[in-house]
Formats: sequence, structure tokens, C-alpha cells
Amino acid sequence: MSNADTAVTVSALTRTYGTRTVIDRLDLRIGRGEFVALLGESGCGKTTLLRALAGLDPIQGGQIDAPGRPAVVFQEHRLLPWDTLWQNVSLGLPGSHPRERAAAALVEVGLGDRLDDWPRNLSGGQAQRVALARALVQEPRLLLLDEPFAALDALTRIRMHVLVKELVARHQPGVLLVTHDVDEAIALADRILVMRNGTIASEHRTPVAGGSAATRDELLRELGVATDLQVA
Amino acid sequence: MMDARVSNADYAIQQQYRSPADDTPARRTSFLSRIQLKPNLVVLSWIAPVLLIIVWEALAQAGWLSPQVLPAPSKVLRTAWKLTLSGALLTDLGVSLLRAAGGFVIGGSIGFILGTLVGFSRIAEALIDRSVQMIRAIPFLAVVPLVIVWFGVGEGQKIFLVSLGVAFPIYINTTLGIRQIDPKLLELGRVQGLSTLQLINRIILPGALPSILTGVRYSLATAWLALVVAETVGAQSGLGFLAMDAREFLRTDVIVLTIVIYALIGVAADSIARLLERRLLAWHPNYGKGGRS
Repeated sequence: MSNADTAVTVSALTRTYGTRTVIDRLDLRIGRGEFVALLGESGCGKTTLLRALAGLDPIQGGQIDAPGRPAVVFQEHRLLPWDTLWQNVSLGLPGSHPRERAAAALVEVGLGDRLDDWPRNLSGGQAQRVALARALVQEPRLLLLDEPFAALDALTRIRMHVLVKELVARHQPGVLLVTHDVDEAIALADRILVMRNGTIASEHRTPVAGGSAATRDELLRELGVATDLQVA
Repeated sequence: MMDARVSNADYAIQQQYRSPADDTPARRTSFLSRIQLKPNLVVLSWIAPVLLIIVWEALAQAGWLSPQVLPAPSKVLRTAWKLTLSGALLTDLGVSLLRAAGGFVIGGSIGFILGTLVGFSRIAEALIDRSVQMIRAIPFLAVVPLVIVWFGVGEGQKIFLVSLGVAFPIYINTTLGIRQIDPKLLELGRVQGLSTLQLINRIILPGALPSILTGVRYSLATAWLALVVAETVGAQSGLGFLAMDAREFLRTDVIVLTIVIYALIGVAADSIARLLERRLLAWHPNYGKGGRS
């Protein structure tokens, strides 16, 4: 993988809280246009890794090599309630014509007719689409998704999956999706990583259609969920 | 001032970050806007005050109320007309409004600047907050004798008292407003690469605005109260002087008139503050159109 194709390279990353090591000499590389999902049980360090990549937390060792500023979509939409939708999307956007560029991004997520509306008039799914537009308008090389669909209802979530896949294919950022939903990981990612004890415990290529059931069982077993009823 | 805190706590609850799933349009329709009887309720609410004035007028006309104790409303109105024609009323009213405005600007600026410093910086809080809270514990009318010793009974004394009354509500609510900002939004600002100045302009000040405006509303009421007291003590002009002068000549009608004017201006100031809230907080579910009346 040449440097121009790389969204982020992480080497020997270490993050500690006091005496507890949350991330332990972790290595990771995500290419541009590559969709990586990060699975793991609660407290395995997956959100900590994302926050370190976003530059929100200091790291105690190792190196993060990411050209440009990564964009983040959080579990909550985090829209500024006092700004209209286009103002929200252009928050911190450098360069000229912020309104036009924000408008284009909102068109992409299907909200092109709501430029001057307030966030309070949006449903949960719509708000998350604005958050997605706010991330993509910056044309990031690395897009970090921190369980962005977890609070949505099942149908909205499926619609969001389709939209995200489409947008990532068009803009080609490297994506790291942190999730605890195995099916979501299989539906979206090219590569699935399972994190345990602060390192990447295993790595799976997402299977082509049909082979996903076996992968699903394997991933669930790794995450400590028994899928075989005869186990009991 | 306790009330200011309570209403801010309410606001904090409303403002708390709701999970997107909670945020369905149906829940956001305010309870009041669904009450069909609202216009009738407005009419109902006016029955008692109007009745009271009619009874008052009738009692005065029947001679059961001595004009020395309480002149008829019609008499007060006639006095108002006469004083307006002579120009005395408008001059005194103007003087009073200028004093209130001057004190409001000075006290408000001090309250806002200190409140902003303390809201942003724990060090500023350590340095400033205790002193401010100690001064706030003094009922500000208790310092009137001291202020007269310092400033005499001139303009300085009046503007100082108004400033003192105004500064605290603004200070407290500015600090509170800044502290209430959702840390998740500040984190978002960092992710989006905002500079400190942009962070203040785009996130911190707009987020603190509802609370600051609550402070403005409370301070308008205190400003007015402070002015009444200040003008009652040895003024040479202004509404308070008008009332005190009238007392000398037992002109109860003029005294009642000044009281009514004080009340009307208090209501007007509150309406202006509410209008500001509705304009500046159009984004807010509780202030914007379709929200609180």
C-alpha cells in the first residue's frame, strides 16, 4: 500500500489510564476507500482507540500517522441547536462558499430542501444524516464512526447503512466504524477487526454473499456469545 | 435571585442532550399550544383586575373612600393628563429612565464580564467568586446609608445602587450559562478544528444565551426596584422625587400615579426582555414560535 493510498497508520499505540493499560501496542492500517469495522465487548478499548485517532485523547506511546484532520460522527448527532442545518454542516469548514458546499453535502444526504431549518425539527435519523454531511463536507481522508446508528430504530438504521455505503464509495475516505452490532459490521465493512485486551485479536475479510452466516457465528463466538443451543 | 436559579435548573433539564430516538416531533409539541380554551382564559384572567378598578371607582365616587387615602382611578387619570400637559411628568420620567439605563449598562457590563471570566476559568472563579458571593449576601438596600455617605444624594448614588442591583443576576446567570454548555458540543468543536475564538463565538456564547437573557430579565426588575429606593432618598428630580414632593402636599393622586407608572414600566421592561428572548432564541423549543406564550 503506497502512502497516498493510506488513510491512517497506527503503530505500537499505547493508551493507559493510571496503571490500567487500555490499548496495548496496537498496530493498524486503513487504506483510502477501505471500510473497517471494529468489534469488541464493552470496555475492550474500541472507543478509546477511536478517540485517540480523533485526537481527542492523548496517547502514552506509539504513533498515529494520519494526513489531515479526521472527521467524526458520534453516537449522538451533536448538532448545535442554535445553528441552522447549513450552519451546522459548515461548522469549522475552511475555505470559501461555505453555504454552497454545505448545501451540496445536505443534498447528498437527502436534506437539500432543509438548509435553513433548525435541528429541533429533525427526526433522529435525519439529524444523524446532517452529522454525516458535516463530516463528509470536509472531504476527510479518515472518517471515524462511533456507533452512529446505535440509537436509531431498525428500519432507519438499514436506510442509513445504504446511505453510508453509497457515500463512502463516492468520497473514498478510509472508514473506521466502531460498533457492537455484528450484522452491521458484516453489512458495511470490507474488513472486520475484533478487539480484545487492548489489541486486535483477530481479523476477518467480509465474505461474499451467502457465506456470511458462518462468519457471523464465528464473530459472535469470539465476542463471547453462544449461538449453538446445544452448548447449554 | 433564588427564582433565577430555579428557572435555570428547569432550562438545564430541557436543554439536556436528548438521545435522537427521544426526539420525535410529537413530543416537541408544547402542552400549552394544544389547549383550545386559551383565548377564553385570557379574557377570564382580566375579569378580576377590571372588576377591582370598577369597585374602587364606585367606592370613591360614593364618598366611602377618602381622596386623601385613595383617590378614584378617574382622578388619577386626570392628574396624569394635567402633569403631561405641563411637561413635569415627562421630564421626571425621562430622568428616571436615564438613571435606570445608565445603571443597567454599567452593572450589566460588570456582571457579564466577571461572569464570563468565572464561567471560563477555574482560576478566575477562585479569585473572584467568593468575594462576589459575599457582597451578594448583603441585601443591597442595606448599603443605602453608606452609599449616601460616599456619593451624597446626587446622580452617582442612584446609578451606583442600580448597578449594584443589576450586576448580580447577570453575573450568576452568565456563569451558570457557560458552565451548562454540553461538554459533548465542546468536544465536537475540537473535532471540527475550531479555534478558541470560534469555540466561544459558535458554541459557548450561543449556548449560554438563554441563561444570560434570564439574568437580564431578573436584573431589569432589580434595576427598577433599586431606582425607586434611590429616588425616594433626597432626589431633586425623577419619579421618586415627584412622589416625595406630592407627599409634602398630601397629593395622594400624584403618589398613586407614580406607583402606577412604576408598575407600567416594570411590565414594559419585562415585555421587552421576553421579546428579546423570542427573537434571539428562535432555535429554542421553549422560546421560538409555537412555544411558550
